[in-house]
Amino acid sequence: MFAFVVRRFIGLVIVLFTITVVVFLLFFATPGIDPSARLAGRNPSPETVAAVKHEFGLDRPLPVRYGLMMKRLFISRDLVSYGNQALKVVPAITSAAPVTFSLVLGAAVLWVVVSIGMGLLAVTFKGTVVDPLLMIVALIGISMPVFWLGEVLNLITQDRLHDTFLFSWVPPLGYTPFTANPWQWFLHLIIPWITLSVLYIGFYARVLRANLLDIQNEDYVRTARAKGLPPRRVLLKHMLRNSMITFVSLFGLDFGFLVGGGALLTEVVFGLPGVGRLTFQSLQQLDLPVIMATVIYGAFFITIMSALVDIVYARLDPRIRPS
Amino acid sequence: MTRKGRWTWLLSVLALAAGFSLMVAAYGVAANRTKAAPMQAQKSVGTLKAVLDTVDYLDPQQAYTGQSWWAMWNVWETLLTYRHVDGPGGYKLVPGLAASLPSISANGKVYKFKLRKGIRYSNGAKLKASDFEFAIKRGFLATGQGVGFYTDIAGAAAYAAHPTAGGDISGITANNAKRTITIKMAKPRGDFLTILALLFAAPVPAGTSPAIHNGNIPATGPYRIVGYDPNRGFAMLRNRFFKPTKDIPRGNPNRVDVSLIGDANTATQRVVSGSADYSNGAIPPDRIASAKSRGKLVLRKTANTYYFWMNVNVAPFNKLKVRQAVNYAIDRKALQTLVWGGLGQPTQNILPPTYPSYRKLDLYTHNVAKARQMITAAGAKGANVTVWTREVSDALTAAQYYTSVLNSIGLDAKLTTLPRATYYTTIGKRDTKAQTGWARWLEDYPHPLDWFDVLLNGNRIVDQDNNNYAYYSNKKVNSAIESLKKAPVLTTAVNQRWAAVEKSIMQDAPWAPWSNRVFPEYFTKKMGCIHVQLLYGIDWTRLCRK
Amino acid sequence: MAEPATELSLDTAAVLAAEEHEVAIVGRSPWYLAWRRLRRNYLALFSLFVFVVILTACALAPVYAHHVAHTGPNETHVAEQVSVNGKLKDVIGGGAVYDAKSGEFTVKAVTILGPTWWHAGGKFVLGSDNLGRDVAVRMLYGGLNSLKIGIGSALICTFFAVVLALLAGFFGGWVDWIITRSFDLIWAFPVLLLAIALGSALSINGFHHFGINIDAGSLWIPTLVISYVLIPYVGRPVRGQVLSLRQKEFVEAAVGSGAGPIRIMFSDLLPNIASTVLVFFTLIIANNILTEAGLSFLGAGVRLPDPSWGNLISSGQEQIVSAPWLTLVPGIAIVLTVLSLNIFGDGLRDALDPRAKVRIEH
Repeated sequence: MFAFVVRRFIGLVIVLFTITVVVFLLFFATPGIDPSARLAGRNPSPETVAAVKHEFGLDRPLPVRYGLMMKRLFISRDLVSYGNQALKVVPAITSAAPVTFSLVLGAAVLWVVVSIGMGLLAVTFKGTVVDPLLMIVALIGISMPVFWLGEVLNLITQDRLHDTFLFSWVPPLGYTPFTANPWQWFLHLIIPWITLSVLYIGFYARVLRANLLDIQNEDYVRTARAKGLPPRRVLLKHMLRNSMITFVSLFGLDFGFLVGGGALLTEVVFGLPGVGRLTFQSLQQLDLPVIMATVIYGAFFITIMSALVDIVYARLDPRIRPS
Repeated sequence: MTRKGRWTWLLSVLALAAGFSLMVAAYGVAANRTKAAPMQAQKSVGTLKAVLDTVDYLDPQQAYTGQSWWAMWNVWETLLTYRHVDGPGGYKLVPGLAASLPSISANGKVYKFKLRKGIRYSNGAKLKASDFEFAIKRGFLATGQGVGFYTDIAGAAAYAAHPTAGGDISGITANNAKRTITIKMAKPRGDFLTILALLFAAPVPAGTSPAIHNGNIPATGPYRIVGYDPNRGFAMLRNRFFKPTKDIPRGNPNRVDVSLIGDANTATQRVVSGSADYSNGAIPPDRIASAKSRGKLVLRKTANTYYFWMNVNVAPFNKLKVRQAVNYAIDRKALQTLVWGGLGQPTQNILPPTYPSYRKLDLYTHNVAKARQMITAAGAKGANVTVWTREVSDALTAAQYYTSVLNSIGLDAKLTTLPRATYYTTIGKRDTKAQTGWARWLEDYPHPLDWFDVLLNGNRIVDQDNNNYAYYSNKKVNSAIESLKKAPVLTTAVNQRWAAVEKSIMQDAPWAPWSNRVFPEYFTKKMGCIHVQLLYGIDWTRLCRK
Repeated sequence: MAEPATELSLDTAAVLAAEEHEVAIVGRSPWYLAWRRLRRNYLALFSLFVFVVILTACALAPVYAHHVAHTGPNETHVAEQVSVNGKLKDVIGGGAVYDAKSGEFTVKAVTILGPTWWHAGGKFVLGSDNLGRDVAVRMLYGGLNSLKIGIGSALICTFFAVVLALLAGFFGGWVDWIITRSFDLIWAFPVLLLAIALGSALSINGFHHFGINIDAGSLWIPTLVISYVLIPYVGRPVRGQVLSLRQKEFVEAAVGSGAGPIRIMFSDLLPNIASTVLVFFTLIIANNILTEAGLSFLGAGVRLPDPSWGNLISSGQEQIVSAPWLTLVPGIAIVLTVLSLNIFGDGLRDALDPRAKVRIEH
């Protein structure tokens, strides 16, 4: 177990190192990334530009520049944005992370509960019209661009039906921290949660249904049925539990992916100042320090979650051992 | 492991993950917590809740956006300042920290100031005459965005080459006991008084580090800034050491809470729902009419010109006929509707109509057929043109229309869009050889030099960070600008000469100006006493509730 | 299990496949069997039909659109009027009016011409956008761009993924190690963010290295970016399949008989993974259309004024309150196209290999 953790950690460091180098080179090859002219203000003298270049280490060779940036990011933790010199990169991420966590956690609860419900319903009512209907709904969910869904929901809840009893409770777009006002936090996030979870509900419902159908002829299920257990009990206690192995590993990866910045379309549409939106804005402004930091943050979460999934998977299914 | 054991294990791993998430969340929250300032119980407007779209910095030596200046104008005072009045009177310079307007030597090179008595910073410390020189030096040390304005002070260029905290700008001398400041110029500069009134020159306590301070520099004005958070906003509280003068009032609000909201729809919604008193953000064109009925819409006229520039060094725009044809082809009136729902005035001038030097030009009446003929006559039919613009909604809309117009008169145009951050540096590079594109100019200070000298004086074309995107250089115009530079006062005769310069430039058509935009300022219906200061926008110190 | 196959069931083909075990099916090629199963899956066939109709309508737009709408996709008609049912209507109307005498503005809402359906003789069938352009024409050309990118990137992505998977699975060892590690690397970062990073870096000056010249506004940029970031999603499972085939007797036999690696990879291994690859290909087109939409929505895909379904949604967002069709129409087009591809892809998978577990990550 210890060796496994150590190996995973070394793997993580290698992945992070390679990703940051790739991103660094990619953006230094981009014209317009050199911020010295921007930072030096209007009509700067060549001396001023040179001074700025020196201050940010931009007159040094590339490997040194990379090293300086990593040092300021991890050791002195005072890396500042190129676009806004008052913006410290590390606090910017730690203040954006809770927003993303709030969004993803809520959506995850929603998609797990609803997709399990849909999957079970579909299997229970297999052969009737309910099953294909549910699965078509799931497919439509998968086929919708999430940002479009968000916009349409905004149109309905913020404008068209906002003045009716249905949606008069919907607050204007934006985010309220949980610590400031839990109730407002909840209200602000309801529509984003729904939007983000639709795709995953469709996805997980389909996966769960396929999985349940796969195992319905396994020996232990037949045995349970033969023992005369009620069908509902067999479905919940025996089949669903077993399907959870696939479910949990999928969930871990998707969760890591979303927390790592994958929810940016939802964040952009709903004006939530999370990590995805921060990355997007820094990309728009070619703000390399922020890009680097968010890339590292995202890769960190995804890699951690996939390691976690491996461990859980191995525990749940003894046939696989982390070797 | 038993089946049950496996499940407990899984649950504990999930709990661990959740716990870790919460820890990170809690850390972020703790990092953001700011001190809440005590409220003062007074009448008048109480707490004003304002929404700005964005500010760059809240540091006098660094800030260079209208939004920052809107707030900071009443936080850090300058030697000279502008009056809190509506209309053209707002452009008139009055004493700020200085006791009176300075005495200027006959050759226009020496300025003598005397500070008012008993001025204190918001931390109680006394304002010293030497703090002015410190602020100018701090600008150079921090390579602040405004330092370019102060290099004509004697010794400033030498200081700028090697700025050190202990160094000295030889042209500035101060006597703290007598509260006097003397500024010597290396060469005279007609707009120097307006430059001293820029916030870049606001004195700050000696010893303030050159690092950017967002708000936490002791203030000399009626308010001070606390609790800046780039994601949320900041607050302005009263400076209890401030004493009002004839031209600087105490201000009505006890406190101003500023939220920073970039999304125009959200900002508008805040005012509609009453959770904010005022928003300066753009209102989406299709919502302006409904916004007006649900709140109070004030259309603020301000000095700005939106234009398309044409690079006179690059084909096909090296031909006068082509540039004039473009001026004929643009439907300026339609553009106002497309881009800002009609909230702009069509223009063919370089200067905005708020200027005393402005004389309306009417050289190019909209006529697409004529434009098409001129293009054919110039032999430019089918010429390849790349239109440049930046990725900001209004610029994209205008540039897409412009591209389609160029195609309709026989050119072969395509569009290139650049991120906001790199746009001006890219087109300002000579090597880019950018043919034509979108640009706008908002005044830094109310003087024609801020337009003609910066944007169209051929002598000032540089290879990088060039502001003359058209690379327009006409010897006669250049020398006219240079000679007008020496005239510090805008008399009627001087204004006439500026107007003549403008006309001869527009006959050469390096630009196709198309709009003087008006900015929608949005209030709840309860707000009253709405006054507009020409330079700084809504004068929030005078707002009141009905 | 002998459940009756209903036309509504999504498992028609799977059920049919199960039935076939009871019938003698000797001497038929697997492709024929698959077709026989697919033929009875009406829902999948209908979806294919929908997709082909959309594809044809968009692909032929340059041929017919101008004759119907009398305008191109990027032409603006701002100060013009069209006759709708004999009544003249402004394409772009309203807007604040400036009175030069008083110097004041009268605020009025901007009105954009809505869908005319067929009442304007083919002009502005789906209305106008905020720049007076014909939405229907932009939808067709935009669909063409979206489909070009979706199908093109699916082709490129599948090609490289299959080649890499064959190499990794066949040679194993350090070849496999390098290839799977590079897959991991791409995998370790949110796809969309990676695509935006690449898209925005490349869309500024294009790509001019190694003798390859791609202009900044080129459709190749989103196409290549999307195919690149999705390679592991196809490559990983295909590699797994190759790896298990590699252990099979017929491959060992081929190696033993002295066949070259290229020959084994392409004539022994490839035919055996072809059905999986085909299913992946269908589903990944759907996925790529969604990714393109996301990219263009964020400004890192197709560059304005050229349309794509994604940037049409994004441009329409600002006018969503007064001109909702600008957002709704391209969104519905995307949903229809992607849904039809997904249903068809499902059917195809059931028909080709009912037990296959093909999943496209989002």
